[in-house]
Amino acid sequence: MHYTFNIERGNFTDAGQASSSVKRTLKQLGVDPANIKRTVVALFEAEINAVAHAYGGTIDVDIDGEKIVMVVADQGPGIPNLDLAMQEGWSTASAKVREMGYGAGMGLPNIKKNSDELKIDTEVGVGTTVTMTVYLT
Amino acid sequence: MATGEPYFRHSLKVNDYLCQGCTTCMRSCPTEAIRIRNGKAIISDNKCVDCGECMQVCPHKAIYIKQDDFGRLFNYRYRVCLVPTTFIGQFEEKYNTKAIYSCIQKLGFTHIYEVEHEMSRMIQLYNMYMDDHPEITTFISPYCPAVTRLIQVRFPSLVDNVIHVRAPLELASRVITKRLMDEGASRPSIGVFYVTPCAAKIAAVKYPVSGKETYVSGVINMDFLYNKVLLMLHDSDKNAQPINHALTSRDVLWSLSGGEAPHFKGAHYAVDGLKNVLDFLEKLEDDAVDAPGLVEMRMCDQGCVGGVLSINNRFVARKRLEYRARLFERLERSKLREPVPDDKTLTQEMIDVMTIPEIKPRSIFKLNDNFAEAFRMAERMKKIEKALPGVNCSACGAPSCAALAEDIVRGDAGIDTCIFINRHSRASEDAIRSIWGDRVKTKEINKDNKENNGNDSQGNH
Repeated sequence: MHYTFNIERGNFTDAGQASSSVKRTLKQLGVDPANIKRTVVALFEAEINAVAHAYGGTIDVDIDGEKIVMVVADQGPGIPNLDLAMQEGWSTASAKVREMGYGAGMGLPNIKKNSDELKIDTEVGVGTTVTMTVYLT
Repeated sequence: MATGEPYFRHSLKVNDYLCQGCTTCMRSCPTEAIRIRNGKAIISDNKCVDCGECMQVCPHKAIYIKQDDFGRLFNYRYRVCLVPTTFIGQFEEKYNTKAIYSCIQKLGFTHIYEVEHEMSRMIQLYNMYMDDHPEITTFISPYCPAVTRLIQVRFPSLVDNVIHVRAPLELASRVITKRLMDEGASRPSIGVFYVTPCAAKIAAVKYPVSGKETYVSGVINMDFLYNKVLLMLHDSDKNAQPINHALTSRDVLWSLSGGEAPHFKGAHYAVDGLKNVLDFLEKLEDDAVDAPGLVEMRMCDQGCVGGVLSINNRFVARKRLEYRARLFERLERSKLREPVPDDKTLTQEMIDVMTIPEIKPRSIFKLNDNFAEAFRMAERMKKIEKALPGVNCSACGAPSCAALAEDIVRGDAGIDTCIFINRHSRASEDAIRSIWGDRVKTKEINKDNKENNGNDSQGNH
């Protein structure tokens, strides 16, 4: 099953549609609640990252018999130092983003913690593609 | 009904004579438990959480709450009326509490016991669960049984966040039963009847999540008792007292939204009303809300005064309880009232009676126990949903197009129940198109045109 969603820059209030709809499907499949939670948290974090940092992007979700693969691809500034960004508490979020309650520097570490496989392709000035895999069974 | 099961799982029933099949209830149900069949609403046992929303919105008063026969009261020698403070909130200020209680007594009750009397013990029970589960950040109060059931069916991942303790009325009924037995009464001679403001509390007594024995012998609908009491109030002799010691100001406010959570350490949140509860649980499930501490949730707006069996306006009822609490507070402060001498200790036996070993999730979303089969069904459901018009007209007897898609893959409905897909004549075609435009698929029209051969008569459905 395939789902596609668009990401709009700076629109925090409407973020979360992708994770809601994925959550619904996973509940229909009877996936273990703990795995649903991991999936939803990872996807939501990745979406928020793109909303906060990028100029826009897309979310592609594929669910098959054993796993869910979520690709969040944005056109944005890219991540200059990936090792640093993976550290808890490291954040480049603007004051506006922090006011919204985000930007605590937990995004990427949280995604890593909640997905079974994580791949980040990033190029400064071009954009970032985050590919997360969660095994469902 | 399987042997050993109580005589009903749910307290909400549809009166087929009054039901017009108007779809109002079906569209308001938070668990999509209602369908229209043969022109009448039917409620699914597995999905219903007894929140009472359907009854609240029904324009024909066709949904009702089944209650116990009042005559059963006289099967018992000791007849206890277990009253929530919400009941007092139903009356105008001019009727004082003693007058109201004396009417209850005249109706045949030998004892009156106020449920909220057990609140200090409830606080201890909540704290025990919270202390035992340091791994849980957000706890959900078990006070509103409709919320607990909603979590079981819609938010199964949150079942352990609900404090595993039974409702205060279970403790109150146990305390009063024990007390009467200590005074020499035999257990079978004691009848404890709870006055309920809502459907969920009846279901919780009749079909408890805990699966444990109840000390409540029967349930009386609040509106029923209200009518009986109001009729008698003008010639009341105004002297009846509940047998419990005086409530504190805190106890009086407990059932209101915001009346519970402040009494616990840490942050607290008071969420009331169906929409707010759903929204909060959805966010909590996604980890999208940071709410460490205790969340009290009431399915009804304002708490129990907003219950479907409440008569008085919920804001007016709330005010009366607030006045009563303020009066108690003044009495407590000015020492006009002695400190309550009641025994508030929590015995091991009480703990055993009140704790719930497990709240089982029973997801209503799961399409099949077999993952591969569920996957096939979900795929098919997605395709069907795309083919449906998405206007959620409910003419098919399901609350939404998504719900119809689910019914179809579960084998409970056919795709031809959709009036957008199964159109009959050029006239109905044109009428639908004039309202909904492009959602009418051209391919279907051509097929229909051929079949109807240009005939646009309207009466051939």
